[in-house]
Amino acid sequence: MGFSDFHGNTEVVHSLRDMLARNRFPQAVILSGPEGAGKYTLALMLAKAMNCLEPKVTNGLPDFCGHCANCTRIAQSEDLSARFAEAVEARENLRETDKKETRIFVQTHPDVLVIPPDPPQLMIKMDQVRRVIGTIYYRPGEGKERVYIFTDSAFMKEAANSLLKVLEEPPEFATIFLLTTNPGELLPTLRSRSMIVTLSALPVEEVEQYLAKNRPDWNAKQRALVARLSEGAIGRARNFDLAAYVAARSQALVLLNAARRSDHSELFKLTETFRAGADGREKIENLLRATYSVLQDLMFLNSGTPQFIRNTDIQADLHKLAESTGFDWIAQAADRLAEVERGMRRNLLRSLSLDAFATALEPTA
Amino acid sequence: MPVEAIASVAGTSTMEITLSKQELLRELTATQGVVERKTTIPILSNYLFEAAGDKLSLTATDLDLSLRTSCTAKVKKEGSCTIPARKLHDYVKLLPDADITIKLLENHWVSIRCGRSNTKMVGMAKSNFPSLPVFPTTGVVKIPTQILLSMIAKTGFAIASEESRYTLNGALMVLKPESITMVATDGHRLAHIERSGEKFEGVSGEMKTLVPKKAMDELKSLLDSTDADTIEFAKDDSTLFFRIGGRLLTSRQLTGQFPNYEAVLPKDVSKSIALQGTELMAAISRVAQFADERSRAVRIKLEKGELKLSASSTETGESEDSLEVDYNGDPLAIGFNAQYLLDFLKATGGTDVKLELKDAQSAGQLRPAEGEDYKYRYIVMPMRI
Repeated sequence: MGFSDFHGNTEVVHSLRDMLARNRFPQAVILSGPEGAGKYTLALMLAKAMNCLEPKVTNGLPDFCGHCANCTRIAQSEDLSARFAEAVEARENLRETDKKETRIFVQTHPDVLVIPPDPPQLMIKMDQVRRVIGTIYYRPGEGKERVYIFTDSAFMKEAANSLLKVLEEPPEFATIFLLTTNPGELLPTLRSRSMIVTLSALPVEEVEQYLAKNRPDWNAKQRALVARLSEGAIGRARNFDLAAYVAARSQALVLLNAARRSDHSELFKLTETFRAGADGREKIENLLRATYSVLQDLMFLNSGTPQFIRNTDIQADLHKLAESTGFDWIAQAADRLAEVERGMRRNLLRSLSLDAFATALEPTA
Repeated sequence: MPVEAIASVAGTSTMEITLSKQELLRELTATQGVVERKTTIPILSNYLFEAAGDKLSLTATDLDLSLRTSCTAKVKKEGSCTIPARKLHDYVKLLPDADITIKLLENHWVSIRCGRSNTKMVGMAKSNFPSLPVFPTTGVVKIPTQILLSMIAKTGFAIASEESRYTLNGALMVLKPESITMVATDGHRLAHIERSGEKFEGVSGEMKTLVPKKAMDELKSLLDSTDADTIEFAKDDSTLFFRIGGRLLTSRQLTGQFPNYEAVLPKDVSKSIALQGTELMAAISRVAQFADERSRAVRIKLEKGELKLSASSTETGESEDSLEVDYNGDPLAIGFNAQYLLDFLKATGGTDVKLELKDAQSAGQLRPAEGEDYKYRYIVMPMRI
């Protein structure tokens, strides 16, 4: 138990703990990094270190014990998706009138409040920020520091604006963490009031070593592949759903091949399956990510650096595709893909966006 | 959570009690104000039940506020458990007047039997319940119930409800060896009440406490329903404690500095007008019907022997009322928010009041004409009209 359980980014963790030790921890921290990089894990660890009843010192820096009443209760928030699901279920069971006004929070310790995006829109809403404002000025009860963790940077506009005031003058006993995959998504005024800490990607070898220890059920080939595909994010590597990824990737290949060959029947058959709804959203996100990774690999092949490619298991397919594409086409495809991504944020029709993407890339006759 | 699993297997968590429905319901109802309705956080929607000796203590918390109360019970097995608060209250209400037996089963299930009714509900691990602050043994101050109640009633309405001004989200209570003062303000008006000639043992110098609005509201309803003559008040670094009879209300302290209100209290008021409370209230209520809906501004015009109230808005029309007063000074016109004036007049319950003014740009002061045992004053900022 302790910060030694955190993988990678040792320097970032070191400097954060150093700030704790010198009592100079910033009141608002933006923890940025790719999905699965350990932002939430690190934020909870820091919350424990701030509130631990039997604080330890390791490597000359503050650490937490992991078994005191504060640590164990904070640790119950670790499984965020389970706590989140429980909260959503609890809301479902409320009276109809109360349901509308109830927001999702995760709080397993009185002084640590986790604010996940509120479904169904999956955004941080005004009422959630209001609760933060309403409680933050109360002195901590059982811990030393009140900790607020926003797990996502998708804020409703008014919510972000009302958070500004608190960020401007938080009480000295409170720390606010804003977790984000993309700090640019936050208001510039929020960014300027916070310290940005970035968790970067881990080298492939490190991820592979970690997987060897933690996922012995996978074979070496699988581990090597996952280590490459997880883009250096431990959390993503650990829970990597290879089957789902392979499915998404084969769709990505269909999409790109269709674009190369102007094969509309294959294309329409595929895009037809991207319907509206929450699962459709996840599906298209997976597809976009897989398409990006294929495009990247094509670029590597094109530039004569095949040692970097990630999708090592489908090299033959990639080579074939790479032969028929040039730099311009790949660059154009990446641009178009970014456009599809932007369109998704504006709730464009998924199937049509993908059709448009593919047809725009067709070779002009 | 292996630790808890071991605990319940080892059989350390048992509890069995029998108590009267009436008594349980009374305490459950008293604590409902603290139980949060619209929450998905499990610890906030559960009661903590602790049985020991010959009584059951029950605790509800919303993390900022907690209320602990107790009732007599036949305790067969001492122990503790948690029970979903809303459901329990709703269910107990429907039970016949008879004895209820509450028993803790395995895996946090709780059985509730009463006559021929039998119910099981699932609670949660007790270790998840926030640990409760302990009532300090030193520095306890006794405050007469009626005095505190009346001070809360006369200042509570002026507390700011705006979230952004967090130091105003409570009332300041100042205890001195011989007096108690309470001040509340929202930046536009300020209510100040002082009672001297009391004796507060254990207070030396000045003891300033910011009492959060939520705690004030809860305290008020607790004071309303108690027959105890005095309550006990204490505080430590992070928590305020109010013991009212058998009930203990705790509130986390708010941070921040209450504004320097003494600078706001007007010192040189040149014009003082005696007014009949009920008459003034009725006149303002009438005129305010035609005030601008957002600003609620009414104009007060002082002339010789007469006070004219008027309001107008483009949508509803205009209205004027006049009161006969004993006034000989220069004419003066000043605007106030009608709601602010009405709040004060309601709090004084229709007694005669004095309106004290300096000029159209300075704050007005209202106070009861008869200076009973309290020194009560209410300061309202003027509006541009």
